[in-house]
Amino acid sequence: MLSMVSLLFLSIPVGFLGALTGLGGASILIPILVFLGIPVKEAIACGMASIIATSSGSASLYVREKIANVRVAMFLEMFTTVGAIAGATITTFISPTLLYFFFAAFLATSFLKSKRTVSESTASPEWPDRLSRWLNLRGSYFDEAYQRTIEYKVSHPLLGGAGMLLAGLAAGMLGIGAGAFKVTVQENILKLPPKVSSTTSNFIIGMTALAGTSVYLYSGLLNLTLMGPMAVGTTLGAVLGGRVLNKLRNRTLRILFFTIVFFLIVQMVYKGVNSL
Amino acid sequence: MSSPDRNSGGTKFERSISYLLGAGVVTSLILIAVGILLFFFQFGNLAVSEKKSMFLQEKNFFIFLYDLFRDGPSQGMALWVMTLGIAVLILTPYARVFLSVFYFLRERDFKFSFITLLVLVILTLSLATH
Repeated sequence: MLSMVSLLFLSIPVGFLGALTGLGGASILIPILVFLGIPVKEAIACGMASIIATSSGSASLYVREKIANVRVAMFLEMFTTVGAIAGATITTFISPTLLYFFFAAFLATSFLKSKRTVSESTASPEWPDRLSRWLNLRGSYFDEAYQRTIEYKVSHPLLGGAGMLLAGLAAGMLGIGAGAFKVTVQENILKLPPKVSSTTSNFIIGMTALAGTSVYLYSGLLNLTLMGPMAVGTTLGAVLGGRVLNKLRNRTLRILFFTIVFFLIVQMVYKGVNSL
Repeated sequence: MSSPDRNSGGTKFERSISYLLGAGVVTSLILIAVGILLFFFQFGNLAVSEKKSMFLQEKNFFIFLYDLFRDGPSQGMALWVMTLGIAVLILTPYARVFLSVFYFLRERDFKFSFITLLVLVILTLSLATH
């Protein structure tokens, strides 16, 4: 039988890898828990709750560095929270078999983000959008790597919002942060610089997870003995992961990312096919 | 917005958010860890359990919070402390929205007061009706 201590010590390297690869601890831990025989809906619900800790913990460190854009985050949270509530509600109703396949399919979309299109220096210079101008969605930060201040303006906020609604839906449904998907939307539609994008996404994930958790709390899916060790372990791991992230080479990270996503997809598809 | 050429420290608003999130998460995780320790003394094992009593009961967050303090540790100290940790965890981002509404109102930024207020209403409705 799974013990809380082994779950805690399993969650630390998982949180570490989650932070390194950008997948997040829950995306990796939920398939492992399912493999260990935990019911999928329970794993999803507890994953969602533990994300509040991981995300808020690292946001607490990032927001001080003034790279994350709090205003843009607040604007996008209107969309992700609604998406997460809808997604979590869907999960409480549908069959677990569907969840295995949705989980695998969503993981597969994270392969898309591997090509980065926006570079730090080419963030959109003019105001292409009325809403964006009206809300003054812009920002600047000092980039250590370039040794200069990068200014940027947000484009297509409504289309970006729609993308975030979808990200929230997937996050709420699968109990994950959907960070890779959020970053894709923010870089490609909203044209945020990569560093702003990943830190802002982290900030939003905590609020999205809260919205999803409210549904799972009411559904009685939150198991104390499961989510307690998960929350502590993944957060410790994520903090450690954040420390070494900049020291690793991109190639190493990419191989790690593809290997992990591959095994997670195989596991969820296998489970799904077996439950048919 | 303060001068953009200095990232460290951030504005006062960003620092308060940072402290709030940090304090909330640390408090919550300490409570959970202490709860796990107490669990071992109370039950003599640390098994991940599928027993009904290990699940947070099906109610909305505000009733859950009220009952947590009204009933006290009737199910034993271990589960109560762990539940308290989860309650603090859920309250952490919730408090962050409150702080943001307050900040934007004080800054007389009514567009963003409205946006943060809307997020607050969405979350409150979801916490209260689910």
